[in-house]
Amino acid sequence: MAVTRRKFLKLAGAGALCLTLSQLGFDMTEAKAYVAALKIEGAKEVHSVCPFCAVCCQIIAHVKDGRLVSTEGDPDFPVNQGTLCAKGAALFTMYTGKHRLTKPMYRAPYSSSWVEKDWDWTFRQIARRMKSARDKDFIAKDAKGRTVNRLESVFSMGTSHASNEECAVIHQALKGLGVIHQDHQART
Amino acid sequence: MTNHWIDIKNSDAILIMGSNAAEHHPIAFKWIMKAKERGAALMHVDPKFSRTSARCDFHVPLRSGTDIAFLGGMIRYIFETDSWFKEYVVNYTNASFIVSKSFGFSDGLFTGYDPETRRYDKTSWRFERNSSGAPLRDDTLQHPRCVLNVIRKHFERYTLDSVSATTGVSKADLVRVYDIFCATGKPDKAGTMLYALGWTQHTVGVQNIRSAAIIQLLLGNIGVSGGGINALRGEPNVQGSTDHALLYDSIPGYHKAPVASWQTLADYNKANTPVSHVKGSVNWWQNRPKYVTSLLKAWYGDSATPENDFCYGLLPKLADGEDYSYMFIMDRVFQGKMRGGFIMGVNPMNSFPNTHKMRKALDNLDWLVVTEIHNSETSDNWRRPGADPAKIKTEVFLLPSAHRIEKEGTISNSGRWLQWFDKAVEPEGEARNFGNFWVPFINLMRKMYEEEGGACPEQLLKMRWYEKFDASDIAKRINGQFEADCEVNGKKYRKGQQVPMFTALKADGSTSSLNWLYAGSWTEEEGCKAKRRDPSQTPMQAKIGLFPNWSWCWPQNRRILYNRASVDLNGRPWDPSRAIIEWKDGKWVGDVPDGAQPPMAQSGVKPFIMTTDGTGLLFGTAPADGPLPEHYEPAETPIKEHPFSSQLSSPCYKYHKSAYDKMAEPADPAFPYVLTTYSLTEHWCGGGGTRAVPNLLEAEPQLYVEMSHELAKEKGIANGDGVIVESPRGAVEAIAMVTIRIRPFEVMGRTVHLIGMPFAYGWTTPGCGDSTNRLTIGACDPNTTIPELKACCVNIRKANKLTEIA
Amino acid sequence: MPKAFLIDTSRCTACRGCQIACKEWHDLPANATKQRGSHQNPPDLNPYNLKVVRFHEHLDDQGRVMWNFFPDQCRHCVKPVCVTMANKAVPGSMIKDPKSGAVLVTEKCREMDEVGIKTVIKSCPYNIPRYDAEKKMLVKCDMCIDRVQVGLEPMCVKTCPTGTMAFGERDEMLALAKKRLASLLPRFPKARIVDVPEVNVFYVLAEEPEHFHEYASFG
Repeated sequence: MAVTRRKFLKLAGAGALCLTLSQLGFDMTEAKAYVAALKIEGAKEVHSVCPFCAVCCQIIAHVKDGRLVSTEGDPDFPVNQGTLCAKGAALFTMYTGKHRLTKPMYRAPYSSSWVEKDWDWTFRQIARRMKSARDKDFIAKDAKGRTVNRLESVFSMGTSHASNEECAVIHQALKGLGVIHQDHQART
Repeated sequence: MTNHWIDIKNSDAILIMGSNAAEHHPIAFKWIMKAKERGAALMHVDPKFSRTSARCDFHVPLRSGTDIAFLGGMIRYIFETDSWFKEYVVNYTNASFIVSKSFGFSDGLFTGYDPETRRYDKTSWRFERNSSGAPLRDDTLQHPRCVLNVIRKHFERYTLDSVSATTGVSKADLVRVYDIFCATGKPDKAGTMLYALGWTQHTVGVQNIRSAAIIQLLLGNIGVSGGGINALRGEPNVQGSTDHALLYDSIPGYHKAPVASWQTLADYNKANTPVSHVKGSVNWWQNRPKYVTSLLKAWYGDSATPENDFCYGLLPKLADGEDYSYMFIMDRVFQGKMRGGFIMGVNPMNSFPNTHKMRKALDNLDWLVVTEIHNSETSDNWRRPGADPAKIKTEVFLLPSAHRIEKEGTISNSGRWLQWFDKAVEPEGEARNFGNFWVPFINLMRKMYEEEGGACPEQLLKMRWYEKFDASDIAKRINGQFEADCEVNGKKYRKGQQVPMFTALKADGSTSSLNWLYAGSWTEEEGCKAKRRDPSQTPMQAKIGLFPNWSWCWPQNRRILYNRASVDLNGRPWDPSRAIIEWKDGKWVGDVPDGAQPPMAQSGVKPFIMTTDGTGLLFGTAPADGPLPEHYEPAETPIKEHPFSSQLSSPCYKYHKSAYDKMAEPADPAFPYVLTTYSLTEHWCGGGGTRAVPNLLEAEPQLYVEMSHELAKEKGIANGDGVIVESPRGAVEAIAMVTIRIRPFEVMGRTVHLIGMPFAYGWTTPGCGDSTNRLTIGACDPNTTIPELKACCVNIRKANKLTEIA
Repeated sequence: MPKAFLIDTSRCTACRGCQIACKEWHDLPANATKQRGSHQNPPDLNPYNLKVVRFHEHLDDQGRVMWNFFPDQCRHCVKPVCVTMANKAVPGSMIKDPKSGAVLVTEKCREMDEVGIKTVIKSCPYNIPRYDAEKKMLVKCDMCIDRVQVGLEPMCVKTCPTGTMAFGERDEMLALAKKRLASLLPRFPKARIVDVPEVNVFYVLAEEPEHFHEYASFG
């Protein structure tokens, strides 16, 4: 098949290449007409950081009217110099795809489905359960009578996807609740 | 990383081991290729030939779980070929320290082992000390018990024959790597080691890295440009999330989490503030009380006073010696000891080992809060294949999470650069960022405790908490602020202003900081340095790719850690062609040095400022499983014995004993093959985030198992066939990828086959396969409790039909 | 002077940043694919993948594993036969932009009948053009002409982290390709740049083209 294709080219080429494009009778401005407007033209450039590995490549998010229109590597960042890998290159569809959760969801005990809930209800329900567990299980003193102020029956896992500021808040929140079963992806 | 991404380009020899850099840190390869352009040797030591191997000068296949044997062989080779960097080793490491007479090692065990507890009593692992407490030393290195000679003796057993028989690496390949890497033991050469989870995910993970540390110290490669031990950290902000301690065992800034026996702040400080008796040792951790008090002050604000121990008593205290890490959490959930939990931005029902146990465990919770960008194997565990939702009690709250470009703040890259990101678009739907959950949630909890009372309300109510989550506000508090009017170096600061540096932090309550390491990142003088986009550099900095004005880096904007070890005793760079710092006209130029004091010859100041005695730790007493690395087989191994001792596997590794925690016998004929697991470029870890991106799923759509042609032939498997892989813990369907990139190993005189699988696939993405981790083992490193995801034993057969993959 | 690409496969890590970036920039949907015992996916160019990284492995004469990666795309030939054939079928349906050297399919292509389409596809020595039945168009790499016309690099080149790809003036790219070749030759004596005079995409290969892809070189 390859041989055929190559032969074909040679045959075709020998006869045809003497024809210039203008002889074929069309206007070279076609190339210009071919091009739709550059989709990032006039977009706001926002500096962000790729959310995958800890190389932390910087990216530019192009935003028009509050909507993302494209993402690409930040050429000025000394580490990635505008380049990205497959995952970093896929950020645009990652953010514009339809897979995202957009509302708090609730699965009741023994239920076989999710139900949409509002944030207010969700906050109150979680807080009620957290308080109930904490009030029942809080250990003020250990068997030796030492003050330990800890809660063993609730855990927290995650996350390295959080920003430093979010991490600081999560850690402090757990100290406030007395939660000691705390871990995340760093232990891998 | 001791160094940073760009610095890799300055290396002469790059040993990539325990990492598949090209696939998992593709942009790192930009800098690896720059080094190659300069003529650096690139070597990949790894069980399989990967995209990394394809670009290296050569690849050396290594049986998974035998890194210490391989590296131990290199340590022996360094002595045999006299390749170690003597001036560096004598002056900058503890090579000359005299190890206690009571220390010993015999047949795979160090002194002090208790088989009942599987723990060591470490009292015999210490140095002889003089009456003032300074370690005795012999700078001539003649003393038979000086560290250097103890190490030399310890690794005498690591001969080429023994190492080759254990690792499956030919002697020629061993010598090839050893020769190239040992050549960096010269002052004007630099070698770097790049590792990742291929070293950490073993029952000997910490000791793998200790082996690397010993080699790099012997060769004088720590602190130098193009050198170092560089953990290619994976997760997006895993550096920052570790710094800020989303971990049970520490509090932000690398301080231990308080335990019950440290009842007061004084107890805590006494137990955790090292005292050095060595002249010239900076012993930076002597400052710990300043940082811990400033952290308490940041957490408890005006409630924290010297009189009430800065509210130290309110902090939860762990039971001494107890493990609260995720493997233990999940075992307690499995045992029904937990009521509820929060799982944020992690997918344990796919990513944790022994997934069948994990999935079963979660059914025991009363309630679970999952914060995610979409449904995952964790959020939807109650409707997993084979489960009956009508029998599962767990209430699940699934909270929509905002993603990176929908929020602002900072992350810390693997090179410790603090990078600010702006918000580009509003969160999708009603999604919230993590801060926007936790801040109002805690406010609600506080309100409930105020109104209703309950258990220890003051633990919540005495906290300084926030009205709303504002990344800038928290970033400023992370840096630290004055809690009273103060003067630093003649400059006056008012209460509420930013501290200029961690040297301004005090133990008297006059300062606060959520993390001392980040002090200096947001100052009155220069604002938020994480936002800096200034590429300017001096010619000296330009030469090694140092960008001191782009973003900021902890600590103190020091881009290469231990950089005082890159110069000789007079402050002259070992290699002037890639100088990081240099003592010039009475001051340091280049990078921010590890302390401004004059060079060691003038000031006596030793370069390793974070260790108590100021030296690099060739002999280290911190690990739970020995002061020196020793080869042990993985918890599940295809062999019954190895040449180094009769101690087959680590005597200390941690494990659980439930009916789900089954293990194969050594050389178990039912599970004859080694399985190693890994990530792949196109998906992110457990794949939760990326399987939902069609363009990425298109490139890597389904679970596969890579195997050699030899094994495939033996098992009658053809490329592209459906197969079933089985371990004592479960069975997994996959598509066979038969390849020359995996080859059989010759181990202890017989053939051992190894296969490899990614773990990115899960049942919530239809037809792609389900968790590989249903096969993997819950045996863990005794120091970190990181499970041995890189090696377990399995069998494989051709599948008659597939149900998970379609 | 037209533009040209350099694709130095000796530096490629098959991270597939280029393959994905191309899809993202062109808003191309994903194909439903299957694992068939290879990392190469989609298995071939198709209307939704104008660029595909091809994977090829073999043992060299010394028994060493060679794993070659070939980011495959339109070569934007100096004298593109596809353009000639297309214009025989429907004048103006394909053009060669003299300024950039880009070989482009125009809207007029929709008027082309089945025979014309087949003829154009068969004419390509590199097996590049594909027919998008939905758009009723021939599709292939367009050099990101929208970007190139405003002075930006094609998206695949912009994305490439390892220096495998470069884009610029043809003579500069050729000089760079020759430099890269010179550095490869000591270790890979069979290294070469393929089809230089005919193409505007210079592939640097460390071995014979058949170890990369059936259509790596016109030969």
